[in-house]
Amino acid sequence: MTEPIVEVRSLSKDFLLPHLRQTTLKGRALRLFRQARTIELQHALRDITFDIPRGEFLGVVGRNGSGKSTLLMILAGIYAPTRGTVAVRGKLVPFIELGVGFHPELTGRENVYLNGALLGFSRAEVDEMYDDIVAFAELEESMDQKLKNYSSGMKVRIAFSLATRAKAEVLLIDEVLAVGDATFQRKCFEHFRTLKKSDTTIVLVSHDMDAVREFCDRVLLIDDSRIVAEGSADVVATRYTELLGEA
Amino acid sequence: MRELFARIRVRYRYPLIIMRAMVIADFKLRYQASFLGYLWTLLRPLAIFSILYVVFVRFLRLGAGIPYYPVYLLFGIVIWGFFTETTSQALVALVKRADLLRKIAFPRYVVVVSIGAATFISFCLNLLVITLFMLLLSVPLRLEVMWLPFLFLELAVLAVSVAFFVSALYVRFRDLDYIWEVTMEAAFFLTPIVYPLALVNDQNPTAARILILNPMAQIIQDARYVLVSDQALTISQLYDSAWIRAVPIGITVAVSVASVAYFRRRSASFAEEA
Repeated sequence: MTEPIVEVRSLSKDFLLPHLRQTTLKGRALRLFRQARTIELQHALRDITFDIPRGEFLGVVGRNGSGKSTLLMILAGIYAPTRGTVAVRGKLVPFIELGVGFHPELTGRENVYLNGALLGFSRAEVDEMYDDIVAFAELEESMDQKLKNYSSGMKVRIAFSLATRAKAEVLLIDEVLAVGDATFQRKCFEHFRTLKKSDTTIVLVSHDMDAVREFCDRVLLIDDSRIVAEGSADVVATRYTELLGEA
Repeated sequence: MRELFARIRVRYRYPLIIMRAMVIADFKLRYQASFLGYLWTLLRPLAIFSILYVVFVRFLRLGAGIPYYPVYLLFGIVIWGFFTETTSQALVALVKRADLLRKIAFPRYVVVVSIGAATFISFCLNLLVITLFMLLLSVPLRLEVMWLPFLFLELAVLAVSVAFFVSALYVRFRDLDYIWEVTMEAAFFLTPIVYPLALVNDQNPTAARILILNPMAQIIQDARYVLVSDQALTISQLYDSAWIRAVPIGITVAVSVASVAYFRRRSASFAEEA
């Protein structure tokens, strides 16, 4: 039995409700003269425990606001857990959104370098794969235009063709499939199939039960900040559909 | 030893890649829309300089006892400009990049350090203008100029440290930008930039001895002394004790240790709060 690549133990996350936080020095000073207010906490995740074995394609499903995106952010190291621990043994690349750091006033070419850097590629490395990226995105003619003149489909193609280059042992994918046309979605799925064959561990957060059924080895259903079901894609996807029906 | 270097290379590879990309993007964005491009970096301090020169040197005849006063004045403005640019750009930087902080986990200090790197590049371009002025006025170079890199190091450490502190504090307190603007305005006049420190010393020696303990005052006066004119009044001339001479450096070190500690302690929650 090999060690799991991701280990999550009794993980909880609380958020302070934003309107109760003091965000000015003036507010802080005034508060000295008033009774301290009770702070209201929002429990985004409660006591989550699970493992991901190396090479697994794990699905995370749940209704809006159930806490699944918060879980992804904590796995990515963006949010710190309030209680509990998360251990990731390997290079992790999050795709919370495609085209992170894209700037509308920079050209397509400049954005490729900027986004590439955020994915961990040096300029020399981007130089090397630049032509492939542009060819994959089918945007040879428009790379010197500013990004603000691109259609959203063009942006997604550029971002995705960069994303497919990222070398990761664990990939976190959040709803990126929701954007783009049918052709593009097919490309995404093809890429997932290749990833699945390689040894990459993937966590996919999605509302698309067809995709979940097709790709995921195992699925977690999160509801009201807790894991309420865990198991094969078919079983959990059905449970999720029932949950939607109840609401 | 080689293993240590290898480990450092691996550890800082990603931060350095992002930092480089951010600095490049920042420069491109800042100057692509303007006709004069990079020249703006140089024109800003020159414009401030001309106003101050006309009012304080021509009208009020400050700095009569100091040779090459125009260069002396410009040098002070450029050093001060680096400090205010770095700190006030860094102040809003985490909040401005909140979107990025919420999408990808990279070391948060990169945001502040990349601003420091960009302003330091502009600072170096400004130094070229100073060199030009020195050639025009044929200011003689002295051996003491070799101290200049150390003073610039102290300046960079101080500016980036304060930048760490205010950027982290602004995430919590969103009225800090107004407070900081006023603070910088006040600090500009409490630092001997437009007026010679010797003038204060003539009127009120105690005041001069207090002003020079401010690290920015010490840096500016020392830098002027080694580059422009030995008539610039430095901390070594105001105090005999080596301990007191070390106070501004002590302040710089204390500020950097405290700022970095505060930034590190807060950085885990930047993504939620920024």
